[in-house]
Amino acid sequence: MAQDLGTVRAVLKERRNELLAKPNVVAAGIGFKTVQGNGDATLSIVCSVTHKVRAELLSPQDRIPESIAGVPTDIVSTGPFYAFQARTDRHRPAPGGVSLGHRDITAGTLGCLVRRNNQVFILSNNHVLANSNDATVGDPILQPGPFDGARWPADQIAELSEFVPLRFIGAPSDCSFAGAIARVLNALARMVGSDTRLKPVTMQVGENHVDAAIARPLAADLVTPELLEIGRIQGLGRGELGMAIKKSGRTTGLTQGQILQVDVTVDVQYGAGRVARFTDQLLAGAMSQGGDSGSAVLDSGNRLVGLLFAGSPTSTVINRIERVFSALRVTL
Amino acid sequence: MRPIFFLAAMRVTIQDVKKQHESRLMSMPGVVSVGVGQKPDGTPVIVVGLDRPRPTTMAQLPQSLDGYPVRVEFLGEIKAQ
Repeated sequence: MAQDLGTVRAVLKERRNELLAKPNVVAAGIGFKTVQGNGDATLSIVCSVTHKVRAELLSPQDRIPESIAGVPTDIVSTGPFYAFQARTDRHRPAPGGVSLGHRDITAGTLGCLVRRNNQVFILSNNHVLANSNDATVGDPILQPGPFDGARWPADQIAELSEFVPLRFIGAPSDCSFAGAIARVLNALARMVGSDTRLKPVTMQVGENHVDAAIARPLAADLVTPELLEIGRIQGLGRGELGMAIKKSGRTTGLTQGQILQVDVTVDVQYGAGRVARFTDQLLAGAMSQGGDSGSAVLDSGNRLVGLLFAGSPTSTVINRIERVFSALRVTL
Repeated sequence: MRPIFFLAAMRVTIQDVKKQHESRLMSMPGVVSVGVGQKPDGTPVIVVGLDRPRPTTMAQLPQSLDGYPVRVEFLGEIKAQ
């Protein structure tokens, strides 16, 4: 028997608490009954359940009746409902894809969890966890990142364990010969009253393969191996030309892309005039913005292929995960 | 004569060609990247990324290197994110 909306509403209002008290029921509302092969627009009371259980396995009082006061019921499996939490919020346990960073930076992304000797570590970029080389092992790592309102020590989630040093173009040289010559010439300059001094810098372009670091969680239950909106990582993959990829990051969330270039040599700006050259990189189209650095990059089968670290308005640059893992001696 | 014939028949890979010319290309004004991409039909190309349109650099870039086509793309400045 077809019911009008007013009648169904009245029935729902009267009986919804009774329905919500039943096991596994997480929501009750009004919708058209979905019957396979039947396009009838019949109004029904729709009960959302975490999972469906065969009626004979439930005690009679736990079953959802076929109809309530003449109104048909429908049962849909939705899983549990969660309040949507922003990626810039505090998350405990923290999944991959949320805001995080060293105490002295703005914010980056928690990539994923990795292992070394049965110890779990958070993987992200050097410039996220180690402030582009300007950090000390043991420094506090905050979730969310400082830009997203984190306070120390309340929001500390981990401590810096290890980073692969970035080699910048034109960085101060540690060559003792060049240093000695500069000292002699600077002494001469002082003697003749000049204000100018010489400073030896590295002219040879140091090559980088990764912008990567790991941090050790203060406790195992502060982190989870899930990636926000992706789920679990299903092993390791290898980035290939044309491959469809995705990432879960602090700023732009879940985005998809394609590997458009491989074997990429690229100069990346780190602010304050610092530039680092990277080789053997993967390049995708626009799929990230500032704050997405450190995101894990996966293929369509959720295999981990890269670590996102840089980009422009039209492109995204990604370290190969095999390079990251060998540089830090970690595994999944 | 055999070894010479063998060498002549062997084609260098696009990776080898890219590696050979890379430091020269990267030193040209405005060049931010050099990589290996492909045309829609799958043909491999050497892709030179520029920070913005650079007429002088573009005029100096070759159309191809050792038989592999060269394509120019405007990527903008690449920054750590």
